[in-house]
Amino acid sequence: MKRSMKRPVRRPVKRLPPALLHWLAPALLFFLIYLGWQWIALNFKSILPPFGALGAEFLSRPGFYFDNLLATLQAALTGFALGSGLALVLAVLAVYFTVLRAAIVPVALLLNVTPIVAISPALIVAFGFNAVPHIIVAAIAAFFPMLINAMSGLRKVDRETLDVFNAMSASPMEIFLRLRLPGALPEIFAGAKLAITAAMVGAIVSEFMGTSRGIGATIVMATTFLNLAQMWVAIFVSALTSLALIGLVVLVERAVIRW
Amino acid sequence: MPSDRIEIRDLSKTFDRDGQSVLALTGVNTSFARGEFVTLFGPSGCGKSTLLRLLAGLERQSTGEIRLFGQTPAEASRLKNIAWVPQSPGLLPWASLRANVRLSERLNRRADRAPDRRRTPEDADEVLRDLGLEDFAEARPAQLSGGMRQRAAIARAFVQGAELMLMDEPFSALDELTRDAVRLRLLQVWEKHRKTVIFVTHSAAEAVMLSDRVVVMTPRPGRVFREVPIDLPRPRTPDVLDSPAFDAKLREVKHVLRAGWEDAP
Ligand SMILES: Nc1ncnc2c1ncn2[C@@H]1O[C@H](COP(=O)(O)OP(=O)(O)O)[C@@H](O)[C@H]1O
Ligand SMILES: [Mg+2]
Repeated sequence: MKRSMKRPVRRPVKRLPPALLHWLAPALLFFLIYLGWQWIALNFKSILPPFGALGAEFLSRPGFYFDNLLATLQAALTGFALGSGLALVLAVLAVYFTVLRAAIVPVALLLNVTPIVAISPALIVAFGFNAVPHIIVAAIAAFFPMLINAMSGLRKVDRETLDVFNAMSASPMEIFLRLRLPGALPEIFAGAKLAITAAMVGAIVSEFMGTSRGIGATIVMATTFLNLAQMWVAIFVSALTSLALIGLVVLVERAVIRW
Repeated sequence: MPSDRIEIRDLSKTFDRDGQSVLALTGVNTSFARGEFVTLFGPSGCGKSTLLRLLAGLERQSTGEIRLFGQTPAEASRLKNIAWVPQSPGLLPWASLRANVRLSERLNRRADRAPDRRRTPEDADEVLRDLGLEDFAEARPAQLSGGMRQRAAIARAFVQGAELMLMDEPFSALDELTRDAVRLRLLQVWEKHRKTVIFVTHSAAEAVMLSDRVVVMTPRPGRVFREVPIDLPRPRTPDVLDSPAFDAKLREVKHVLRAGWEDAP
């Protein structure tokens, strides 16, 4: 038919460049959230503090927040190092010892579904009022995401490349270092990003009890004194810190993975 | 047993699949000369890959014996004297092309010090040049086309300099035009080095074009049906490949394959 042969004439539409749109869309959403926040803060004073009050609170005593953030960071990063380090070692061993893999997966799953808040008091009873319970909770939180990601990354290896290695009798160590480990790096970094956030959350939740220092303790303290501004500054400080930590991992990832 | 030949005697391989035994290869007896380009040709499932993997020492045979210039596959592999070219290129995505083709220098270093070593490694840059990859030595595999990656896999095998090169359908994932170009490259490089090659394909044209001998195999169970010598002159210039003699050989190989089908149970 003649009509169907006719191409629809497209008028060139003026569009925003996609890159700009990419930035504009979230910025707009943030602005809407800000407006909503401010509306609630002005009409229901007991629910949210206005942003101005947050800024004033932070600027009135930045040292207080840095001190507490430092305590949380210490627990979170130590826990991250221990938890994800142990997870990596176990993931490597699990590649070679299937029995080990069969043994750790259920235990790790159980650990993962156990609410951390429930472990925390028990750890405080066991280790006392010091950083150890918080480090342990952060380590447990970081352990699982790293274990699962590293195991999945290390387990899969390109069969045909493996044939090339085996045909020239490459040693198991060479196969691990030159094939398996580099191939698993993307998944290990994905695990690290999840693990470092989980460690932060773990440390903060653990600090709800058994300590007077840390972002978690700051939040609890603010609750006691009904200090909404302090509570929300603490929350924003921890969120921005987690974001920065992920950014740090991404930077290392970009430096290491260049393919 | 003369040590300048590849000897295969009474070879068979049974796989165990879900408790059932699968006879993948049976009663294979043949022998190839040093410097020969041999093609294993036949339909899917006739045991071509299995035979190649047995030769590489990647699998153990159920019965029979293999001697690669006097050595077992395990011994030859320990000396890095077997180069394997898989169906997918099997390159390391994180390594440059040059690092990839020099892989053999990084692995199994003990073989380099063995008193009975037999390999003659080739210069990576020269092999890259012969395969038309010299401008991409620093590129990573992801930046290359499929045909270039496959050429890189072949380059890696030539750089290793093993006496025996085993290639399992290395071009089967390429489109027809690319395939043709890469085959010609392989021919040129091989005619320069004259290493013993055992090449698996299910393309009759590829088999005739490349080889000195086509080993026609049949399935269920996999076995060697007949061997067809390809006595076309070398180098296999475009003139040779367009000649009536080439077409006659192609017809002969296809005919033997059909006879193999009729012969099969
Ligand atoms: N690892 C294996 N386990 C079980 N059966 C296998 C295995 N490898 C090959 N086979 C079987 O052996 C037969 C020959 O396979 P293969 O050598 O791959 O044939 P080809 O390469 O000619 O297509 C097929 O029936 C296949 O299913
Ligand atoms: Mg095959």
